[in-house]
Amino acid sequence: MRGWLRITTTYGITAVLVGFVGFPLLWMMISSVKPGAELFVRPPRILPHEITFVWYRNLLSSSDSVALFKNSLLVGVSTTLICLTMGALAAYGVTRFEFPGKRIFMLGGLIAYLFPAIVLFISIYMVINALGLTDTYLGLVLCHCILTFPFALWMLKSFFETVPIEIDEAAWVDGASYLRTFLSIILPLALPGIFSVAVFVFVLSWNEFLFASVLITNSDMKTIPIGIAEFITSFDVRWGEIMAMGTLATVPVVILFLCVQRYFISGVISGAVKG
Amino acid sequence: MATRRLPPTLGLGSRSVAWFGDARSRAGAGFVLPAVIFLAVFVAYPVYDVLRLSMFAVDFSSDREAFVGLGNFVRILDDPKLPTVAWNTLVWTVFSLIGQFGLGLIAALCINQSLPGMTLVRTILLLPYVVPVIALALFWRWMLDGSFGVVSVTLQSLGLLAADQSPLALPSGAVVSVILANVWRGFPFVMISYWAALKGIPQDLYEAAQVDGAGIWQEFRYVTLPHLVAITKVMLLLRLIWTVTFFDIVWLITRGGPGGATEHWPIWIYQETMGFFRFGTGAALAVTLAVVLVAVSAIYLLVLNREGQT
Repeated sequence: MRGWLRITTTYGITAVLVGFVGFPLLWMMISSVKPGAELFVRPPRILPHEITFVWYRNLLSSSDSVALFKNSLLVGVSTTLICLTMGALAAYGVTRFEFPGKRIFMLGGLIAYLFPAIVLFISIYMVINALGLTDTYLGLVLCHCILTFPFALWMLKSFFETVPIEIDEAAWVDGASYLRTFLSIILPLALPGIFSVAVFVFVLSWNEFLFASVLITNSDMKTIPIGIAEFITSFDVRWGEIMAMGTLATVPVVILFLCVQRYFISGVISGAVKG
Repeated sequence: MATRRLPPTLGLGSRSVAWFGDARSRAGAGFVLPAVIFLAVFVAYPVYDVLRLSMFAVDFSSDREAFVGLGNFVRILDDPKLPTVAWNTLVWTVFSLIGQFGLGLIAALCINQSLPGMTLVRTILLLPYVVPVIALALFWRWMLDGSFGVVSVTLQSLGLLAADQSPLALPSGAVVSVILANVWRGFPFVMISYWAALKGIPQDLYEAAQVDGAGIWQEFRYVTLPHLVAITKVMLLLRLIWTVTFFDIVWLITRGGPGGATEHWPIWIYQETMGFFRFGTGAALAVTLAVVLVAVSAIYLLVLNREGQT
């Protein structure tokens, strides 16, 4: 009796939660394939009578929206490369070596991890401006590195800690330089972990709105979040295209996330992932 | 390897470290050097600069700055919208956290049951964490559209909303909508953290409780709950900081409207700087927020410490 009650309650609550999470996502996808006549009816129909890909066709035939994807991809990949290079080097440094100032460095990383973007965005904007990097991809990439670096460092550190230092020491005894040991022995061993961190950095960059909206004014260089946000402030609200755009922006990150879900969960458990 | 003791003024840690006297400590420093430079330029300097800016009036067009001391802070105190924004920030934070922790805990308890299908459920419930906020904002607005939004039309047919009205057009409706959006996005993170803590509870504790005749509620109250206290303490502080300062969701769904009903502190910072180009006031607002957060965190940690000692 007790077990039966527990099972029913669990599935009941689970169904409500899955509905709460899943319905908005499904509704976005359904709306993106509904013809105009079915989007704008009252009451709304859950399942469309007819499926159309006209909104997707409109988007893909407009060079502006294709450019949004190219820009987001470029910024995301660059951010990932820079952030992971710096992060892997630093994580290797702090897990393998003792040097003066190491604690201060780790403390700085922790403060950076806690510091919210909205508090610093004004002065970060001024720094980027002073460097002449407003309206450049590099400026935006650097900003995204600020947001992602602290947590990348933390996660990479926990991955490097799982590789025993005896492996390094064996290589050093054999005469390999520190850099060579890092590049050709430790890095390959930590590769799965590094890949998962790369995915999270990419996803954060792909989704980032605040810095992208402040730094980029040139319409050829806008990223997806800015592009869609502008879509909706224009005078006619084209819900079909907007929902198609939302779907296209969501699907790649969801697929990437599913690939590394396991690492995400262990990242949360080790306290490294930022919510 | 010759290790010299650090001079006392450089006592940066308990371990004795040569002052870059040997190749190994130089190599270590070399590995972190790019990160150090990066953090110095893009985090440490901005921290200093936002403090400095908060005491200046900045004319962005001519790039001239004039020292105004605490003038920017006085201006904030005199601003008639201060009480409203502070109240909005409080409501936003408290209800977002209640929602995220409540749903997060319930969801964690569900996916922790060893029942068929729960792995799939866990994956689905995690999705909001990666959905771009812009997409979330857009489908939220579409569902709440006054004429054709599925949620609005349902509420209208139940008589809870006037015809053709969107909840986003009402002050209270807008507040509820943005908080719900934030709960939607934030609870999976809490869920996974709680789930990890639940998996760490030894199974024999439950068996012992059952032997003692404990019911489901008693099991939860005396076995499960005590094991969640530690993670809750840490997570509450982190999520507090991130919720108070979360800008995107509110901005993208309501822009602080209608009539300032959803304007919380981050929106105020953004509007002062990007709307009115008053960088000094914006910096003062940012500093105020940071000071309040640091103070709240310090008090929180002190209280926890004291509890831990008694």
